[in-house]
Amino acid sequence: MKNKNSQGAQESPSRCPDNSAFKQQKLPAWKPKLTAPTVLSSFFTIGVFCLLVGICLILYARSVKEIQINYSDICLNCSKLRENSSNWDKECNCSVYFTLQENMLGDVFMYYRLQNFYQNHRRYVLSRSDAQLLGQDVNIQNSNCAPFTIYPNGTPMAPCGAIANSMFNDSIQLFYYLNSSTAIKVPLLKSGNSWWSDKNVKFRNPTSYNLSSAFAGTTRPPYWQKPAYLLDEEDERNNGYINDDFIIWMRVSAFPTFRNLYRHLRHTNQFADGLPAGNYTFHITYNFPVTKFKGEKQVVLSTSTWSGGSNLFLGIAYTVSGAVIVLAGFIITAIHLKLRKKKTYFQR
Amino acid sequence: MSGATSSADQAEAAARTIYLNQPQQSKFRDNRVSTAKYSVVTFLPRFLYEQIRKAANAFFLFIALLQQIPDVSPTGRYTTLVPLLFILTVAGIKEIIEDYVSIIYLIWETVGDIVKVTNGQHLPADMIIVSSSEPQAMCYIETSNLDGETNLKIRQGLTQTASLQSREDLMKVSGKIECEGPNRHLYDFIGNLRLDGQSPVPIGPDQILLRGAQLRNTQWVLGIVVYTGHDTKLMQNSTKAPLKRSNVEKVTNMQILVLFCILLVMALVSSVGALLWNRTHGEVIWYLEELYVNFGYNLLTFIILYNNLIPISLLVTLEVVKFTQALFINWDIDMYYQETDTPAMARTSNLNEELGQVKYLFSDKTGTLTCNIMNFKKCSIAGVTYGQLPPSTSESCEFDDPRLLQNIESDHPTAAHIQEFLTLLAVCHTVVPERDENTIIYQASSPDEGALVKGAKKLGYIFTGRTPHSVIIDAVSRACVVYSKMVGATRATLTHHCTNLGDSLGKENDIALIIDGQTLKYALSFEVRQCFLDLALSCKAVICCRVSPLQKSEIVDMVKKHVNAITLAIGDGANDVGMIQTAHVGVGISGNEGMQATNSSDYSIAQFSYLEKLLLVHGAWSYNRVTKCILYCFYKNVVLYIIELWFAFVNGFSGQILFERWCIGLYNVIFTALPPFTLGIFERSCTQDSMLRFPQLYKITQNADGFNTRVFWGHCINALIHSIILFWFPLKVLEHGNCFIISNYVVVTVCLKAGLETTAWTKFSHLAVWGSMLLWLVFFGVYSAIWPTIPIAPDMLGQVSFHAWIWERLVSVLSDCSPLAKHTYHKTLLEQVQELETKSKELGKAMLRDSNGKSLNERDHLLKRLGRKTPPSLFRAHSVQQGVPHGYAFSQEEHGVVSQSQVVRSYDTTKQRAGVE
Repeated sequence: MKNKNSQGAQESPSRCPDNSAFKQQKLPAWKPKLTAPTVLSSFFTIGVFCLLVGICLILYARSVKEIQINYSDICLNCSKLRENSSNWDKECNCSVYFTLQENMLGDVFMYYRLQNFYQNHRRYVLSRSDAQLLGQDVNIQNSNCAPFTIYPNGTPMAPCGAIANSMFNDSIQLFYYLNSSTAIKVPLLKSGNSWWSDKNVKFRNPTSYNLSSAFAGTTRPPYWQKPAYLLDEEDERNNGYINDDFIIWMRVSAFPTFRNLYRHLRHTNQFADGLPAGNYTFHITYNFPVTKFKGEKQVVLSTSTWSGGSNLFLGIAYTVSGAVIVLAGFIITAIHLKLRKKKTYFQR
Repeated sequence: MSGATSSADQAEAAARTIYLNQPQQSKFRDNRVSTAKYSVVTFLPRFLYEQIRKAANAFFLFIALLQQIPDVSPTGRYTTLVPLLFILTVAGIKEIIEDYVSIIYLIWETVGDIVKVTNGQHLPADMIIVSSSEPQAMCYIETSNLDGETNLKIRQGLTQTASLQSREDLMKVSGKIECEGPNRHLYDFIGNLRLDGQSPVPIGPDQILLRGAQLRNTQWVLGIVVYTGHDTKLMQNSTKAPLKRSNVEKVTNMQILVLFCILLVMALVSSVGALLWNRTHGEVIWYLEELYVNFGYNLLTFIILYNNLIPISLLVTLEVVKFTQALFINWDIDMYYQETDTPAMARTSNLNEELGQVKYLFSDKTGTLTCNIMNFKKCSIAGVTYGQLPPSTSESCEFDDPRLLQNIESDHPTAAHIQEFLTLLAVCHTVVPERDENTIIYQASSPDEGALVKGAKKLGYIFTGRTPHSVIIDAVSRACVVYSKMVGATRATLTHHCTNLGDSLGKENDIALIIDGQTLKYALSFEVRQCFLDLALSCKAVICCRVSPLQKSEIVDMVKKHVNAITLAIGDGANDVGMIQTAHVGVGISGNEGMQATNSSDYSIAQFSYLEKLLLVHGAWSYNRVTKCILYCFYKNVVLYIIELWFAFVNGFSGQILFERWCIGLYNVIFTALPPFTLGIFERSCTQDSMLRFPQLYKITQNADGFNTRVFWGHCINALIHSIILFWFPLKVLEHGNCFIISNYVVVTVCLKAGLETTAWTKFSHLAVWGSMLLWLVFFGVYSAIWPTIPIAPDMLGQVSFHAWIWERLVSVLSDCSPLAKHTYHKTLLEQVQELETKSKELGKAMLRDSNGKSLNERDHLLKRLGRKTPPSLFRAHSVQQGVPHGYAFSQEEHGVVSQSQVVRSYDTTKQRAGVE
């Protein structure tokens, strides 16, 4: 409906559109040139880059010293014992011997690794109260913690929820055999393993004059052996909700097989440079049942903190894709040359 | 307008009474005409209703409601509602802008006013003639705005009022008019005039002047306003063009349906998976108590989880994109016609991409193909041809051949024939002469007649006047000749046109079919309809002459129904309205024959030749853009949500989300919202010049090569592969820590994919692709730092970590490679043209002119690939018909009930008209 006003035909301004680059769709544009040389060269560049990165990663992964021991298999008795939950109060200890063939130099980290443990189950992930973990005095019955919120007698759980309740509670100690008879405890640090933001922002203890009073009126979760304020009696800054083991556990894994950082080596005396080669033993207090759900537990010593340690997968993936790309580059070159020959033939 | 007025039509059919020179006793609509869809009050309910009616929006509303059920939604309660509101807001803003643009104009007349209109003016409202400058309150109007007829119509006021000419007289009048309520019948009017102290007189259609008509040949006219604004017959008749939906839209809806089915299948698979998983694990998972499984609840959970497999932002993205494309059409300076100050206008924005797929073109002839400006240029008399020689390309339009007159004067053997010829030219027509002081203006209903009469005038046979029984001409030799009733008109132009069309269209062994209206009537009868269609389709061109408007639309309808192809109809007059509305795309020529065709069209252009750019450039571009945009929207959602499916396999089908809930919620509306827009608005597969120079490029869009089931599944499979890479590779690598970081790769990969789809990187494309990634990182950084200040994302805290970067490289490299490879060894014409474009800015010029050297090779190569059947001559920049291989043309119909000649003969131009008051 663009009727012109009956009188205003002359006075009305011209309806001529602007001649601007935008309106005339003539904005300057960079057009990627997909000619044979550019595509081929990018193929080879990318391929070679991938190959190089892949090789670097493989070399790095191979340089990582790592030892991984499945102790749920080795400590079969304890595994069996824990399958029956009525034995929860029976202590079960287990020793795992192993030999380091080479020195593990530099930072050494100890992980526990769980297989087939579905930390990523939706009901599990939801079952926590972040407000409670911030030290706030909240009515956890309004949170998602159910069914791990309160006991039948009305005492709330601290911390509440399925995640906290199922916290990994094996304790693992490492001993080094100076000789065949004397073993010394390898000094391992239990704090400093969690993310700064978790430790300082996301987790806070409730405030009171001391920690036990702060947790007054609450009880430990049903599967815990001791209350939260006794998680680390030696270190005030690693106790309660800000206990590193707890914080790390609370950061749920996205996959059913995962490893969590447990300890890292303190560089003193014999261990100033790392773990020397020799005989070691893990002393494990076996509390955490896994065989019930057909899971496995491993303890891992590794010199790497990222990319899954000695995981070769990334390097191999890079190498393979690099190789494939280079190969494809050659094939395309061949096709290109062949077609070009044909074309010239046609023209003669 | 449509719904409101049709209901109003019934409701207000009640008769109205209008008082003269007194206040009105009932309230009538004011004379404001607005085509706006909404008012301030009706906006919200109407807009929401319109939006929720769309299946996709209803679906998301349903999801948003589902999320309110406690414990069912894996993504919280508001993650669908907020994006949905956001999208509705954007759609609402777009609607407001579109509505605001629609013209509102005011003329302050109200019912009962007496209005004076002078010659040449358009009537501002429907009114009853009181008196006029002419004797017996006669006046002439032209109603081309109403019905497309350009001839003059006579209206006559009542004798009772004819004497009311001065202000004083008019002030004294009192009485009332009773008439029927507003309706849409242009040729009906019933009412009567009751002047005080006189008996009532009936008023009929002869006394009515309709809004939109133009006063002609009459100095002035006085009238009483009876209908104003939307009550006028013009407005009652202006219906919105029927809602047409583009082919792409239909296909898209189908694909959305497919995605919905996939969604249901995924939800079912996951629910069954949950059932099985809980059967095997439920007993032994000591860390998860009270694991109950309700199949129905689970199904809902998974439907919510995967709901965005159907892209929530697609509809609004498309709306904005198409709206902008329509603006680009309006803004195109190449389609602006200086002389009438008419830019092209997209009256609808949802058919833009349809313009890129037109296979059959239906064109009106007179006024459309021929621009309705005719000049007498050549003639052949008794075997001698006069006029310019064919190759002349000069723009002089006049007949310029002294030989003709010389032959008369020198008593050439054919002198008698020439004189006879010229006399006939001056006599046999329906032209009305109008004297303006000393010059004669010819009012011709068809321009060819006007041209012939003017030509005769130039040669000395001047047509000066007509009476009901004679025609008066001034001839060179004799002073005055009066010819009585002679009949005989020629219409040889048609055969001429058909050879012309044949030349430009007939490429191979092609033929053109010519059929006239009378024959067509039989051809369209049921028994032979299919045969006729087969015959017509086998011809390169079909010319139908002397067909009625109904037949025009019947032909279009026939092709539309029986051939699976997009049709376009173009015309300029009221007689083309039917076919314009029937065809998939209707184009109106604006500026010549009134508004009727324009008002019912989807696109209006001022010149037929602009169709070339409209189709080859805007159509093809819009098609490319819209389809790329749609496919990309599908792609990015499939990638994200198939990952969720993979994740379900490793989390016990519990419905856990892999990405933080707001990252998913805003994924569509913020992080990956811009790339589809730039693809849809700024993408250019080739420059305008190349699009016009290589009409073959139109075939790509015409055949829907860029958007069909295969391409759709191709994109889905591509998305599937990307999702596998994006999920299973990190799963293998990242054993410790968590994997929320995957969302990083998703955003980056998806943005890079947009980059790969882009062939013309304008500054906006850069902004969208890199800006989205940056935005994501900034969001990620901010978002992961705000807990617990703003308690929304505890999971995100401290997520900023850079060890993922290596990953992104690999993933993006993997997703990059396949299209790159494709480009190298499988070049389409499009890509070759793109390549050529980059090689030389002056595309084609050198290449086409050089007969040797490298450029020729390129050209041969080009031809060999795709132009197999088309000879090189196609590479000349040519008219649009090459892009549109089949065509139909119509010649204008002779007027039906009362012939033009009959009307014309009622004129007597020799009589003096009443002078100006």
